[in-house]
Amino acid sequence: MANVLLTTRCNRSCPYCFAKSEMSATPARNLISWENLIYIADFLKFSGQRHISLLGGEPTLHPDCVDFILYLLERDFDVAVFTNGMLSPARLEEFASHLTDVPVEQLTFVCNLNDPVQTPASKKETQRVHRFLSVLGPWTSAGFNIYRPDFTLDFLFDLINRHGMKRQLRLGVAHPVPGSPGGSIHPDEMAHIVQRLCSHRPQFDSFRVKPGLDCGFPICKFSDEQLGWLHRFRGAVHFGCGPAFDISPDMSVYYCFPLSNFQRKSLFEFDSVEQIDSHFARIRSLLKAEVAGIYSECDGCMHQEEGVCGGGGLCQVLNRFTGEASVRLTEIEHELSRHRQPV
Amino acid sequence: MNFPGIVSPYNEDLLRGLSGHSVAVRVQDPADAAAAAACARQSGSRLVCVLIESDSPLSEIELPEDSRGIPLALAVPSAGRFRSFAGRLKHLRQFNLRVYLSCSRPENILSLRILSSVGIHGCAVIERGVKHWEEIADLMTYAMLERAHHASIEPFTFIADNYDPFSHIDWAFFYFDDPKSFLHLDIEGRVALSREDLAKERFVARNLCEIADPDQFPPIQEWLRRRREYFVGLHPCASCAGWKLCLGKYETSRGPECSAFFIEMIEVARRFKALRARNGEAQIWQP
Repeated sequence: MANVLLTTRCNRSCPYCFAKSEMSATPARNLISWENLIYIADFLKFSGQRHISLLGGEPTLHPDCVDFILYLLERDFDVAVFTNGMLSPARLEEFASHLTDVPVEQLTFVCNLNDPVQTPASKKETQRVHRFLSVLGPWTSAGFNIYRPDFTLDFLFDLINRHGMKRQLRLGVAHPVPGSPGGSIHPDEMAHIVQRLCSHRPQFDSFRVKPGLDCGFPICKFSDEQLGWLHRFRGAVHFGCGPAFDISPDMSVYYCFPLSNFQRKSLFEFDSVEQIDSHFARIRSLLKAEVAGIYSECDGCMHQEEGVCGGGGLCQVLNRFTGEASVRLTEIEHELSRHRQPV
Repeated sequence: MNFPGIVSPYNEDLLRGLSGHSVAVRVQDPADAAAAAACARQSGSRLVCVLIESDSPLSEIELPEDSRGIPLALAVPSAGRFRSFAGRLKHLRQFNLRVYLSCSRPENILSLRILSSVGIHGCAVIERGVKHWEEIADLMTYAMLERAHHASIEPFTFIADNYDPFSHIDWAFFYFDDPKSFLHLDIEGRVALSREDLAKERFVARNLCEIADPDQFPPIQEWLRRRREYFVGLHPCASCAGWKLCLGKYETSRGPECSAFFIEMIEVARRFKALRARNGEAQIWQP
């Protein structure tokens, strides 16, 4: 799977943003061109891919966003658009008039929502998000990034019900940018995060909302009963870290936002998605050979060895490695020093 | 030389006189396409295509159901924004259609690529004096080498398929601008050698009857002789490596860009041939 960044501009400033290094203020380089989008679509098609995610920044800020979505649907992709929902009235009208005929199975907006109490937004921003959900709710599933231990999900169930949104909730943990301070969930807080997440189980059950876990959750922090509950919703739950790779407007490919400066390459250096996956699998195994996971117990863990759990996200692993471990691989050392990160 | 095809306006009397000829019928309104095709067929001529020359962008063109199956060459000034024709693509793909867009506008070059990628055949009309050689080169590379399924973009697909390192290729017939392939009639039946001559009313005969044998017809002989003049007169084009693909078509705008473009096209066509030989199959998808 691939995430395509339509722009690196964003109109929201989330306290946990782990894509900040990719954000740019220079307009010349931060919009993807039609030519590059067609190249990416051809590249993915040739590799047999059927799913594409559009990200930013805020992807809806790209003036051709609607055209891109229609184009990718025409190319027979299932399209997911990760948005903050803060569309101007004119832009929302554009989306409504061109996209509300598209089957909900083919197009999903994943609206990343912030808790209005813990992460307050201006009245105008809040109104825009609500207007977005009232128009495109049936095409939209909610997304939430956990960046503090005392988070709550109550407001999300309210929005999902009120706007007839898709019955799924994507949950991510705020990831660290290796070597950079702050803004992320510490591994020691993970057990508490998991317990708090599972405390919302009655709401998930009664409103029939499926929890979807992004990478970074370690399996060992869930009880067997909690795992059984997750399994009931989604079948086998994957606790590894093999995310969709990201393609930026300048056609760079990288593992994920927090690792955007790590082993970044140009898409033109690859012939297929398989090659990209192999490239990142190699990096993953190099790093994991040094540090198995975010906890010392990850080394020799049964779930790790069986490939059931990745021992946290790779960026979390690298973050631990950066701060705590000595550097033995010259390649990693070189990469880190290139980006002036303390080792 | 076989008798060239005839590009004729849609006029029943004119078409009746073209029995036995290959004919492309020119119309302006897509609604006339089916009637024009039927008229040409009934008159006993072989229909090459109906050439629709519209002033409206593709997004505003309504192709009537009765023109399905008829070979259509649709020349439009632009395609419009993708959203404006996205909903019609399924409909358009049901026609035997090639969309002609002028490469004098960079947005048209992009539109040709978009249309090709969604299965609509196109033709890049590269006029004399065109400026965007780099963008056209990208389009040419896409047409010849892109591995994902896509519709043809002429003349590049034709050149890729027919490239021969030891021979030149003339692809002007895609533009109906080659008197060996097409002659043009006006509404009175007067004959011009090219579309440009027709527009400027530079006629070479009052009617087709004056051209009994095209091989011996002086204006056509003169047209053929002019190509030789490049070499006789040691014209700079004649020493350009790209000559065998351009044949002096861009003589008036000749410069390093035009030369670089055609030399690059030779290299891309060579790579296309090598790839095809290696894979043993056509690289460009045809529906």
